[in-house]
Amino acid sequence: MLYNKYLKMHLKSSLEYKANTIFLSMAQALIFIGEILGVWLLFLKFEAVGEWGFYDSLLMSGVVMTSFSLMECFARGYDEFPNLIKNGTLDRLLVRPVNIHYQLLGAKIEFSKFLRIILGITVSIIAIINMNINWNILKIIVLISMYLSGCIIIFGLMILCAGISIYTIENLEFTNIITNGSKELAYYPINIYKKWLTRIFTFIIPIACFNYLPLSFLLETGSIPLWLCGISPFLGMLFIIPCLIFFNFSLKKYQGTGT
Amino acid sequence: MSKIIEFTNICKQFKIPEKKNGKWSFLSNFFKRKYKIIQALDNINFSINEGDIVGYIGPNGAGKSTTIKIMSGILTPTSGECIINGYIPWKSRKEYVKNIGVVFGQRSQLWWDVPVIDSFELLKDIYKISDEEYKETLNILNKALNLEELLSRPLRQLSLGQKMKCELAGSLLHKPKILFLDEPTIGLDAVTKLAVRDFVKYINKVWNTTIILTTHDMNDIEALTNKIILIGKGKILYNGSFDNIKHQYANEKIIQVEFTKPYENVYLDGYELISHEKNVATFKTLNNTEFHTKSFLNEISQKYDIVDFSINSLSVDEILARLYKEYKL
Repeated sequence: MLYNKYLKMHLKSSLEYKANTIFLSMAQALIFIGEILGVWLLFLKFEAVGEWGFYDSLLMSGVVMTSFSLMECFARGYDEFPNLIKNGTLDRLLVRPVNIHYQLLGAKIEFSKFLRIILGITVSIIAIINMNINWNILKIIVLISMYLSGCIIIFGLMILCAGISIYTIENLEFTNIITNGSKELAYYPINIYKKWLTRIFTFIIPIACFNYLPLSFLLETGSIPLWLCGISPFLGMLFIIPCLIFFNFSLKKYQGTGT
Repeated sequence: MSKIIEFTNICKQFKIPEKKNGKWSFLSNFFKRKYKIIQALDNINFSINEGDIVGYIGPNGAGKSTTIKIMSGILTPTSGECIINGYIPWKSRKEYVKNIGVVFGQRSQLWWDVPVIDSFELLKDIYKISDEEYKETLNILNKALNLEELLSRPLRQLSLGQKMKCELAGSLLHKPKILFLDEPTIGLDAVTKLAVRDFVKYINKVWNTTIILTTHDMNDIEALTNKIILIGKGKILYNGSFDNIKHQYANEKIIQVEFTKPYENVYLDGYELISHEKNVATFKTLNNTEFHTKSFLNEISQKYDIVDFSINSLSVDEILARLYKEYKL
């Protein structure tokens, strides 16, 4: 399969720079550990944030970190889309007889994110062990769907930002705010923020669909019907559709303007 | 011969935001943008036959790369029709690009850090080339370009010339019917340049590949192409054989004369004095007069004592510069 070849090539490339990959992984892991410490310190001071205790927030950090790092690893091509435009790689991809999304997924694979993926999973496991949840099969399905939904929504965000960069060309901090901002936001229950912010991050950028809502289902808390909380991760996945449509539309526009 | 590329009334406009300057201009720029419309291509018509090698030339910013990008399906034109190899490039992009190869002179399609052969293997998968065909094609390219020792080395270790050879091979692995070369000889040393030229000719001969190349190196044009298309300010100015153009300027000669001693006020009837420094003077034939060596020598030796002289035709670069000037580019 073509993707396997891409994978092998990227592995070979990053093995050429072993030290670089290792140091990058460690630096990024340290940042994550710092973020976890931040969460811990906050809960030292306030026992609970909204309906969540420390381990609930820890699980969320794990979910966010795992899915975020997974996508940064495998969908890096979208993350670096402005560069692909600038250095002409996009033109290169357009003269290949392969779907552009397939090529973008193969364009860059960032192995230095692996350590963070492992950390994310570790943190999740620690959190799950310490949480008081009556596990049943439905809850396990919802738990797994949180990771899936997280991946897909973050992927959607990256596609959206890549689409925006076609108009702006520059890698605007604005797109960073969307992706990284949503990430930080997701560490805590979404309903502690201002109402308009909660709404934006539920209905427009559906962060709540892999954060507050499914966790409410697991904890059986909150005022929103539990069944709705349970299927929310699946609803959130739909977010990727408009993102893809927007991206494809923008790419057509790129072919029209050639900016 | 059948036509493989047909451009009919292709126009391409770009909207470029006009920027105001001033302290708060970035804000007003953001909210109400004014656009300037630039006509990159203005009613371009041409056709290219299968098996042709065509030089697409013009000064910087004339619209060369825009045309190449339209031909390779990257850009859509504002209006007009274009049929290449039976496809409309930007409409059936995926189908169409199977049969073209593109080399952008200054950008690589190969991977920087892995051996070249690995990049080739990836291209093999991208173009779904069968094992047998791949082996055979690679063998041909290998022989023609002497790639053998280069293939096992990562691209970053290769010289510019070696890289270009690998680029060329990479863009031909799928035996495209049409090859676009965007400044393929830029920055190459003389030996590699010749090798690249020979290779392009060879490919054209053995596979009957139609080749379109843009270049600023007029020697490329002279050595390779049987047809040139000259474009300037988005319009086609000339479309035909290069020999024709050369013929137009064939009568123009530059004659340099060295005198035994410095003269003042050198002058010769029927010739234009271009430069005069101490004991060396350069003349040019006047428009539309034929040059006769004998009569020139007679006339000049009557007036001055000469040691040496040389007669030169316009170089291809000078011809092109002349053309640009004529068309006010």
